Amino acid sequence: MKKRLMALMLCLALLAPMLLAGAGASGVTLRFIDVSPSPVRQEYFEKTFAKFQEETGIRVVYESVPWDDAANKLTILGTSNQLPDVITTWAGWLGQFTSAGWVIPLKDYIAGTEAEYTDTVTKLVWKGENELYGDTYTVPDGMMVKGVFVRKDWAAEEGIALDPAKGWTYSEYFDTVRKLTNPEKNRYGTSFRGARGAFDPLFVYLQTFTGGRAYADDGSALFNSPEAVAAYEVWNGLYLDGSAPKDAINWGFIEMVDNFTGGLTGTLINDSEVTATCIANMQDEQWMVMPMPASDVDGKIYNTINSPYAYSISANSQNPDAAWELIQFLTRPDNNIEYCKLTGLIPIKKDVGDDPFYGPDGYYATFMQQLNDPRLVVPCAFGPFSYTDMHQGMMHEEMQKYLLGQQDAQTALGYVAGELENRMKQFLADNPGSAVEQPKSLSD
Amino acid sequence: MGWQIALYILLVVALFIVGLRLLRRHEKRHPQKIQFSRKLEPYLFVMPVFVLLLLAFGYPLINSVLMSLQNYKLIQPGNIYFNDFGNFKTLFADRDIGLIIRNSLIYVVASVGLQFLLGMTLALALRRKFRGRGLYQAIVFLPWAFSAFVVGLMFRWSFNGEYGVVNDLLMKLGLISEKIAWLGTPGLSLLVVILAMVWMGVPFFAIMYLAALQSIPEDVYEAADIDGCGAIRRYFAITLPYIKPTVIMTLLLRTIWVFNSFDLIVVITGGGPANHSQTLPSYMYTRAFSGYDFGLASALGVILMLALGIYAVFFLKVTRYNKAGDF
Repeated sequence: MKKRLMALMLCLALLAPMLLAGAGASGVTLRFIDVSPSPVRQEYFEKTFAKFQEETGIRVVYESVPWDDAANKLTILGTSNQLPDVITTWAGWLGQFTSAGWVIPLKDYIAGTEAEYTDTVTKLVWKGENELYGDTYTVPDGMMVKGVFVRKDWAAEEGIALDPAKGWTYSEYFDTVRKLTNPEKNRYGTSFRGARGAFDPLFVYLQTFTGGRAYADDGSALFNSPEAVAAYEVWNGLYLDGSAPKDAINWGFIEMVDNFTGGLTGTLINDSEVTATCIANMQDEQWMVMPMPASDVDGKIYNTINSPYAYSISANSQNPDAAWELIQFLTRPDNNIEYCKLTGLIPIKKDVGDDPFYGPDGYYATFMQQLNDPRLVVPCAFGPFSYTDMHQGMMHEEMQKYLLGQQDAQTALGYVAGELENRMKQFLADNPGSAVEQPKSLSD
Repeated sequence: MGWQIALYILLVVALFIVGLRLLRRHEKRHPQKIQFSRKLEPYLFVMPVFVLLLLAFGYPLINSVLMSLQNYKLIQPGNIYFNDFGNFKTLFADRDIGLIIRNSLIYVVASVGLQFLLGMTLALALRRKFRGRGLYQAIVFLPWAFSAFVVGLMFRWSFNGEYGVVNDLLMKLGLISEKIAWLGTPGLSLLVVILAMVWMGVPFFAIMYLAALQSIPEDVYEAADIDGCGAIRRYFAITLPYIKPTVIMTLLLRTIWVFNSFDLIVVITGGGPANHSQTLPSYMYTRAFSGYDFGLASALGVILMLALGIYAVFFLKVTRYNKAGDF
């Protein structure tokens, strides 16, 4: 009898945690995942979630995954239907997420409130999503635009005059990089990106020769023309002629930024979010931001504008309405401005007031100026299909082979262009009625 | 997840109790067949572990063989089908596969060979007692306790082309006049990974051989001394044959571990530049987790498994492991 009693108690002990876990789920609890955690972000989110719970009674559980593992983790959660209710999503994943049906369309939720958002959100991000995926799937967390971070003090030493308001062309940019290079002083002109993500800024540069287009209407790649191949050589020439350290062939985002703020390199092409790192690690008289160089062909500024970690609602959410309430709360002007200041972004709602942080004397002046520049054109993305495998492999590997002298520029670019073209054409064939993306500008 | 584990434990416990009851009942009803019941008993006791192993190893093993024959992309869950050895065809059509196989062989042979030689030397040096041996032993065995991630970061920074301590030392010693881009040069990037692996793995060989050396009876050596046996002869005639089983097992295990390891490569070079430090397992990892092509990654896994299986059988045959340690 004793034995039976013990066996029964053992079973109960095993089952108790499950029963208790089930009983705790009274009221609505949402799960939220941040894919780029940092102590600052976590503190912000937890504080804001507490405020949200006070106002609405909805509890939000904060989860996070380091950026480098984020794509893997979300993919695994997605395939096992365990995605949190609200996910922070990078634009490059949307092709995969929408084709797998892991996120829900938000158009009905947004309807009627469009006027609150800045033009960059409505005319660029949402318009792009509608063109590519047929609906709106994200609400941006903040806007990010690229610029060129420059060592102001080095430029002054070399007698280079730089005026953000006037801007510069790619030829002038390449010239500046070479002038700033001085290996004897252990100075290199640019934080060259040779590893993951290396093809991204190059792809934008190649599109300055195609009017911002990536594909012809039939899906044929436009960025491997003879001019583009020559441009590929010019771009990589910065590495080959020693304007970047030899190690840079292995550099990704972290190495680029660290070596710029650490004083090894003189320029860095990157997103506005790096501003926060520069403010924290450099003296104000050491650095400045120049706009992205204008095209040598048509004088337009081709620049990507996106939201780094936009908010989406997962398809397996049991409480999509509560999830939407949370997104609205996070993007309310007061919360959004606080978030953007912490993370180096530009707010998504028109109601920024006259916050000096985003004014003409603030750190973001050059970025705000670019957003208002009539010459600004947002070039096309790689495509509406999944290209994560290429982004983490062949795109930079083929470039590295070129940099190591193992193949010529035409072959290196040809492989990547060929594979992207195949996928684009396959997408067009699989999705009758779809069309290739067109470059966008705020005046459209 | 919690309820699945609880259910599994309940199931195994229930199976075990039912099995035991059946056996006891069988014993009572057929006392003459008690021997038979007793023979079955051990199987009943290993059953929970066996079920666990079957679930934890058997299922993934069979599944990975199946996946290697399928178009299995994580991002297309609704599009899984057998693709007529397509993954293997893609694998062997890859432009870099020759380079990657060559890297894998160099990586394994060089790092296991160096670890073995240095580990054996260290063990022989530590065999005799000397002042401070305990402390010295503790220090040299330390690398084995580090996680591969920490070792990887340490080597990545030490061999950094601009700020790395290695370039700085070599320049101060006057051995080089220009900074070397260790991680950005084909050949050198693999060398750095091999050095990291050797640094980390030497203590393993040393610990194992030291333990084996200490089990050799002293009187054998005394007899050899009396017979006028030299140091080299003594090593090959006494020491090596005595520790041969340990040598074979460590070499076999370490080769398999090193071959399968990819953490150091991922942390130090990420396989770069242009796959020049990529080995088969790190390539498999990249394929599985950056392309989500689990079919292709499984095909690589199956090939790795076969290669290592053949190697193990061949190695044990050649070294005559069954007869090792016989005198």
